[in-house]
Amino acid sequence: MELLALDSVAIGYQRDRPLLPPISFSVARGDLVGILGPNGSGKTTFLRTLLGLLPPLHGALRYPMGRKPRLGYVTQNPQFDLTYPLSVLEVVLMGRIAQLGLLRRPGKEDLAIAEQELEAVGLRALSSQPFRALSGGQRQRVLVARALAGAPDLLMLDEPTSNMDVAAEHALLSLVRSLSATRSMAVVFVTHEISAAAENARTVVLLDSARSYFASGPVDTLLTSETMSTLFGHPVEVRHENERVFVWLSANGGRSDPQ
Amino acid sequence: MSFWDARFLWEEPMLAAVLASAMLGYLGLFVVLRRIGFMSAALSQVSGLGVALAFLAGSFAGVTPHTETPPWLHPSLWALAFASLGAAAMAVLGRSRRGTPETVVAVAYVGASSLVLLVLASPRLVQEAHEIGDLLFGNAVVVRRQDLWNLGLAALLVSAVHGLLFRSFLFASFDSDAARVAGVPVQRVDLLLHLSLALEVAVATRALGTLPVFSFLVLPAGAALLLAERLTLVLLLSVVIAVSCAVGGYVLSWFLSLPTGPVMVVLGVAVWSLAGLRRLVRTRFR
Repeated sequence: MELLALDSVAIGYQRDRPLLPPISFSVARGDLVGILGPNGSGKTTFLRTLLGLLPPLHGALRYPMGRKPRLGYVTQNPQFDLTYPLSVLEVVLMGRIAQLGLLRRPGKEDLAIAEQELEAVGLRALSSQPFRALSGGQRQRVLVARALAGAPDLLMLDEPTSNMDVAAEHALLSLVRSLSATRSMAVVFVTHEISAAAENARTVVLLDSARSYFASGPVDTLLTSETMSTLFGHPVEVRHENERVFVWLSANGGRSDPQ
Repeated sequence: MSFWDARFLWEEPMLAAVLASAMLGYLGLFVVLRRIGFMSAALSQVSGLGVALAFLAGSFAGVTPHTETPPWLHPSLWALAFASLGAAAMAVLGRSRRGTPETVVAVAYVGASSLVLLVLASPRLVQEAHEIGDLLFGNAVVVRRQDLWNLGLAALLVSAVHGLLFRSFLFASFDSDAARVAGVPVQRVDLLLHLSLALEVAVATRALGTLPVFSFLVLPAGAALLLAERLTLVLLLSVVIAVSCAVGGYVLSWFLSLPTGPVMVVLGVAVWSLAGLRRLVRTRFR
């Protein structure tokens, strides 16, 4: 079942200067979509359009279910102001605001759901800790728990692994992938890491505003050496073997270094 | 005459200071966390412009210091209207992609300050100059009964709005995009937060003066954030520090024969400095 769809949508900030050619694209329940492109390619702008934070310049954002799906949003890590004296639990409870409405206070059920989502991301033991005392990876997990607390149909993550080491990045994306499988929830995440998209997405969106390029399709067919080399303007080798994807950055004269 | 015997002199001003400082100490948390400290200074000037223009309009309508002011020309009403308009403009423009909140606040501050001086230079306002000065800059020692009522009403209104919308104000301040996605009408919530700030600044400035209002919005919350990690404790500490500085300022200024407003501010600076020193020592020697 489709959750949201873009019909010939132009994205960007100025009506006469759309970043990409008109886009038609949809997200269905259970989809696992990676949005991939170099820095400044329009990935975040595309995500913000999907989220409804940025109105389309032309075309329409549709909700085929007849209502807006419940959305969970995990913002980019560096945006956070660590002056806020909030506990981990207080941050997660913010995710219940859609269920509570503007005026109601969280009750026992909301607290139980917040604790349960912290358990799901492996941080229940830290629920009373200050949010600002956590590591970058832990903070991202808390934000995933906050998004999950709203019981989303669609979870969207904007570069969730920026400023993370490889192990933390792998752990977070694996967690999101397994959560999407157990909850029949769609996941859309933005990344500029080819390996992150290859490993964790079933569908990829490739975009580059500098070349007015947009394409979407299954990982197996769209993540190829040719498309990646064109997208990133650098020779890239991609090999699909036994349901695994290997990615190399090709250096001078055919010497290949693992990414 | 002892301090206690003279309580008929300070009872009402101190009650006004306690009311104003408690509300400003609470609102200060949002001011400090959103980094809009200078907005309160700008709002004071914008509401001052309302006061000055109310007198100027009155002079054209034939109002003199010896005649009764019609309700629609009441300076407090104009102060509130201007502060609300200023707060709304700052809320909307501060979120725009091309403007920066600091620039918007600076434009409001310098623009309103200059216009106040230009209006006051008008030969039509010579007789009212002293009264306008008191209304513009406040006087923590003498508080009109009407100002006390205004403070009480503002405190009730702001408490009601924040009691209902506190979580939305917090979410919209902490992560506005995620709040919008979760269904919080961030622009309207921001507007309400700024209007509550404008209301409190407008009435408190008339009662206490510009400098104490600015300091109560920044120093207690800043000190509380240095002293505590928990939101409820930070809020409680911020209000307690603000009220203590207000009351302490009154008592000290009485015994030391010093001007009240500046003593309140110096006490606030002292508390903030001690809190900073404590944080520094704890960080260094932990």
